[in-house]
Amino acid sequence: MAGSKDRADQLRLGFLTAIETRERAFTGGLLVTDRCGRPLEFQCTTPVKPNRTQELLYGPTLVPFILGELLGRTLVEKISVKPTLLFTAREEMLALRPLIPVPLLLLSESGSQAESARPVVKIGTQEFRLHPEFAGDQQAVSDIAGMISAGADMREPLERVTEALRETMDSVSASKPRVA
Amino acid sequence: MTELILPHSPNCDDYVCETASLPLISRPDIYAAGVNVALNRWPRIECEPIQSVLQVGTVPSWKPGWTRVRTVGMNFPEAIRFLTVEKKPEEELETVRPKALKPVEESGAAEGEKPAKKTRVKPPGDALSLEDRLFYILQPPLETLLAGQEMIMPFEPFPHQYEGIGWLFSQKSALLADEMGLGKTMQTITAVRLLLRSGQVRRVLFICPKPLIPNWQREFRTWAEELPITTIEGDTARRRMIWQMPGVPVLMTNYELMARDLDQMDESERPSFDLVVLDEAQRIKNRDSKTAEVARSIKRKRSWALTGTPIENRPEEMASLFEYMEVVPPAATPDLRQLSNLASVYVLRRTKDLVMKDMPPRLDRDAILELTPAQKYAYTVAEKEGVIHLNEMGEQLTVQHVFELVLRLKQITNFDPLTGESAKLDRLVADMEEVAQSGGKAILFSQWTKVLDWLAERLKPFNPLIYHGGVPSKKREPILAKFKEDPNSHIILMSYGTGAVGLNLQFAGYVFLFDRWWNPAVEDQAINRAHRIGCKSTVIVTRFISKDTIEEKIDAVLREKRRIFEAVLGSGDTTDARLSMNAAEIFGLFDLKARTGKGTKKVQPVVEPTSDAA
Repeated sequence: MAGSKDRADQLRLGFLTAIETRERAFTGGLLVTDRCGRPLEFQCTTPVKPNRTQELLYGPTLVPFILGELLGRTLVEKISVKPTLLFTAREEMLALRPLIPVPLLLLSESGSQAESARPVVKIGTQEFRLHPEFAGDQQAVSDIAGMISAGADMREPLERVTEALRETMDSVSASKPRVA
Repeated sequence: MTELILPHSPNCDDYVCETASLPLISRPDIYAAGVNVALNRWPRIECEPIQSVLQVGTVPSWKPGWTRVRTVGMNFPEAIRFLTVEKKPEEELETVRPKALKPVEESGAAEGEKPAKKTRVKPPGDALSLEDRLFYILQPPLETLLAGQEMIMPFEPFPHQYEGIGWLFSQKSALLADEMGLGKTMQTITAVRLLLRSGQVRRVLFICPKPLIPNWQREFRTWAEELPITTIEGDTARRRMIWQMPGVPVLMTNYELMARDLDQMDESERPSFDLVVLDEAQRIKNRDSKTAEVARSIKRKRSWALTGTPIENRPEEMASLFEYMEVVPPAATPDLRQLSNLASVYVLRRTKDLVMKDMPPRLDRDAILELTPAQKYAYTVAEKEGVIHLNEMGEQLTVQHVFELVLRLKQITNFDPLTGESAKLDRLVADMEEVAQSGGKAILFSQWTKVLDWLAERLKPFNPLIYHGGVPSKKREPILAKFKEDPNSHIILMSYGTGAVGLNLQFAGYVFLFDRWWNPAVEDQAINRAHRIGCKSTVIVTRFISKDTIEEKIDAVLREKRRIFEAVLGSGDTTDARLSMNAAEIFGLFDLKARTGKGTKKVQPVVEPTSDAA
């Protein structure tokens, strides 16, 4: 019993999201909490703004590339408390999964397309989808899901990250010298 | 043969076209004449150098390179246990299937249910650095924190309590001034618990009036059973050892020991704390007092103060609390507007009217009683003789002389010292018979312990208990327990000084104020021992006032003062801050005039000497 509790205590949940600023730049944030939602570490990126050429050449793959490969990957690499599971509410972030060794769960919005085509797991009060090419994730996630309270709201920490990113962006823009 | 179709007309609306045939393969015999000989010769080729283009300026080049993404971040105190462990939990999790833990929050999980309320911790107004602000923004809602499996809450806090906990949690300087009975103790303990758990504080000092220490210990056992509480007690050497003992999360002491012990220590010996909490912080309202000075000198990172009556008499008392909280410079004298501005940031005050709309009401009734003939005679004689004596004193007259007469007359309104007749006692006994028959319990307050002892003799049918400063501290808790548990014990007799603060007696449905205190804020504190969270039915408060006596005059003066300090603590708060009577008002009770220079001097009532008198 003590062993399972220790393992549960070792559980670290990563909450990954990104926001787009008014200048069309993207900034990402990753909050790692314990299984009760208490914060352990937070990392956020500097804003990344694609230029016109990049927008044209990347086309529809631009946002998944920025969010997944640029921001998400950097954050996962930089964070010192490595998450056991990663949660996100942005579908574009799924592009990150092939680049990291951690299962990535996408908050499943009701009515979203192709939902039935992907494995669905329930954690806390929400359902999540997994990357279709990583079949082993479902079993790994199911094992861990039992350690998280059935009443836990897994969307709430993502709201915290979004708020923290906004606070950071507001703070940065407020500190910029104004051009007369 | 290919045919070219040539439009006849450029007008696209008219597609009537003519066609003509033209052979595209030329026959060799067409050009047979004249030039055929030249075709048999090799063409002559001449070469000449030309300038080649070395730089191509118009061809765009592009590489899929992106600016390096940088990150900034912060670690929270709880991360330390993960950063020091080197094993790889991922691998463990793959090989060992953990047993699912029992969910702690089943409620609210069902689909379609209204989402649970979330109380977010807001960054304090004075948090300037981004890191400080993010620290609070990234904290989970209080409901989530408190529902964690290691944070069992014995009872679900009320919404205003969640708000108070969140506010305290984020404040370095805080004055929680909720009206009595709204749960200041519970909010403080829970906020301290959260701070200790999140690693923001490691060493907390609670300072409270001596009689309230058992109450705090009991509340800690209820709301934070996992926290060990160390009370500073024993002889000087033992206390010194406890003060300096490392690794003690919560230390508790009373004001007197705090002032005495710390005053005797050298600067280098004095312990430092992450948080100091002053309960009943009006004890440091006089900023020049030794207690206030020593309290301010404690080395600390956070300063909290708790009181239901932040202003008992004068707005300057708030300035003393703000000085302790280190939000005004030493000896600053902020005006009312500045105090009001500071209060909006550093003071959280809620009244029962605003937050506990569903709490049973408090029913106040004034029992205006005619004195008995013997009392009336004694009163008239004493008053006449007293006033004559005061007038004869001339310039020698001081407010203290007037005050002595007031006390003498007040005592007669309680009972006639010669015959023992008492209109108040008669009324009390009648009321108590009703209370006892219904199985109820009552609290009686008086200014004098002698009156309490006198009453105890005469209320024996109701098994009275006595709780005042003359009762040794160790006997007080059992008395309270007996009052709560013994169904035959219907009344507890308390002095204002000892019983008015900090006790939870919400099972009592009746409060009698046998005589009036000088300050209605203290009376309210006394009443709120019963009328507080947890009380199940209406609390009936009876104020005994003897007709045509000094008590009526005092009551009229105090009623006039109730609205004076609204400006500091905001409108809608009319029950807390009132003035005690000043010298001019005391003189005015007998149509005497205050002497020059002393008219505005504050007069303190004579408090009976008790071991813990406030």
